[in-house]
Amino acid sequence: MTPRKLHLLVLLALAMISAGPGRVGATVMSPWYQDEARAVEHEESGSLEAGQVSSEPGQEAGEHAPVEKLDPVHHGIDSNYLDFEPFGKLQLPRIFFVRRADGSMGLDMYRSTLIAMEDGYTPDMEEGAHGAYLDAEMVPPLNREVIIDFSITKHLVFAWISMLIMLLVFIGLANRYKRGIGRETEPKGILQNMMESLILFVRDEIARPNLGAKTDKYLPYLLTAFFFILTCNLLGLFPYSATATSNIMITGVLASFTFVLTQSGGTKEYWKHIFWPPGVPVMVKPILIPVEILGLFTRPFALAIRLFANMTAGHLVILSLIGLIFTFGDLFGSIGGYGVAPISVAFSLFIYLLELLVALIQAYVFTMLSALFIGMAVKEHQHEQVDPVSNH
Amino acid sequence: MTMVIAAGLLEPNVGLIVWISITFLALLLLLRRFAWGPITSALSAREAGIKESLEQAERALSEAKEIQVENTRARREAGASAQRVLREARDGAERLRSVEIDKTKDKILHMQEMARQEIEREKDSALDSLRMEVADLAITAAEKILKESLDKGRQQKIVADFLGDLSKN
Repeated sequence: MTPRKLHLLVLLALAMISAGPGRVGATVMSPWYQDEARAVEHEESGSLEAGQVSSEPGQEAGEHAPVEKLDPVHHGIDSNYLDFEPFGKLQLPRIFFVRRADGSMGLDMYRSTLIAMEDGYTPDMEEGAHGAYLDAEMVPPLNREVIIDFSITKHLVFAWISMLIMLLVFIGLANRYKRGIGRETEPKGILQNMMESLILFVRDEIARPNLGAKTDKYLPYLLTAFFFILTCNLLGLFPYSATATSNIMITGVLASFTFVLTQSGGTKEYWKHIFWPPGVPVMVKPILIPVEILGLFTRPFALAIRLFANMTAGHLVILSLIGLIFTFGDLFGSIGGYGVAPISVAFSLFIYLLELLVALIQAYVFTMLSALFIGMAVKEHQHEQVDPVSNH
Repeated sequence: MTMVIAAGLLEPNVGLIVWISITFLALLLLLRRFAWGPITSALSAREAGIKESLEQAERALSEAKEIQVENTRARREAGASAQRVLREARDGAERLRSVEIDKTKDKILHMQEMARQEIEREKDSALDSLRMEVADLAITAAEKILKESLDKGRQQKIVADFLGDLSKN
């Protein structure tokens, strides 16, 4: 497939995503109408009136749209829409794997949450919904039971965008290398030089020292993980975007890949180290064995938590700093709000730049630790070199 | 049992786990097949090429150095041999000249000798002829003086004896 065709395909895919809910099909309904009303109200109110809404979410829901409060945590979590406030919200397809009343399994697919609601799904406004049906849990009609919610979410969309960016960039680069640019000649252009230095960094600084002779086997995974995390992290810094890596499910899946690769490639010696640790008295072994087994799971768990927490924290801090403006506005009137604004903006800019750094660092740390864990399991250890006593 | 998404950072979402697993696996397989393979092999090939070139350059450099050393030695040798040839030529010329001079000297000596001998011979013959002439003159004179008193044989003998006494003195 030529690069141009690939580009067209990607554009088409992007267009399909952006076309989103309500565009196609018989019941053409604007998913925006309610949100726009709310956006206007939000604009008029100026500052956040969090207390009002959260204290009585149930009453407000349904009749007239409540004012959205600025909730950093809420902003960071996954959702079933892309948030383009003040322009509105783009609802994403809802897909439910359900068990029907007659006992058969099936998929309920809707282009948007709104259309799902038309089909009988009702939002559960009681629980953490912020009074908005989009954030509410969906309760299926009485004759159905949702087994798994396969709905497309905001983070999934941005993970897909990252995937598309990576496919475009790296398959494009691969074609350049196939044409001989970078193979026989020097790499040309900023993109190729930049990506090549990153690829070489992953190979020479991360993979080689940890994996040794098995570098080639695990390098594709390490490269994919590194660039996927990096792309997701950086993508999250754009306005109106979301950070896929600030989702514990996504980081968990990435860590699971590392876990599976670690355990599937484990050498006999690696397992022996876990189930019969050498070099310790027999009495200690019963204590050590559970610790080792626990260690198998804590390492990838830490990987997942670290990435998730780092990527969430940055956004939380930025939003909290911005939130200070409104808090001060509430406490001391508009003077307070305007007064604290420059400080808030300056600090959030600083955190934003820090996040740029963290995006790189966390991609590096995840890849580095993955390589380390895999390396510990798959590398052929030379005990003669480790233990100098046996040489004599 | 409902697994529908709700607020909360740690809310589990099985659907998302499935989606993202498929996504990441697809990404991994696609990139491994279409991107990392070609890229890493190209990079390895280029590195091998660069290594090769460097080694070649290294070899060429050491060869060049060797050649240079060789050249320097050859030049020095050539210089030395040129000096030697020059010296030899000068010596030869010197020798040749001295030989030539000796030869010339000998020749001159020889010629001088020849000339002296010639002169000697000429002188002798001149003396002889002078002697003859003198004898003849004496004879003629004596003849004239002693025309009648002595016969020619006797006169001649007396003159010859006399001349013999002269040459002895």
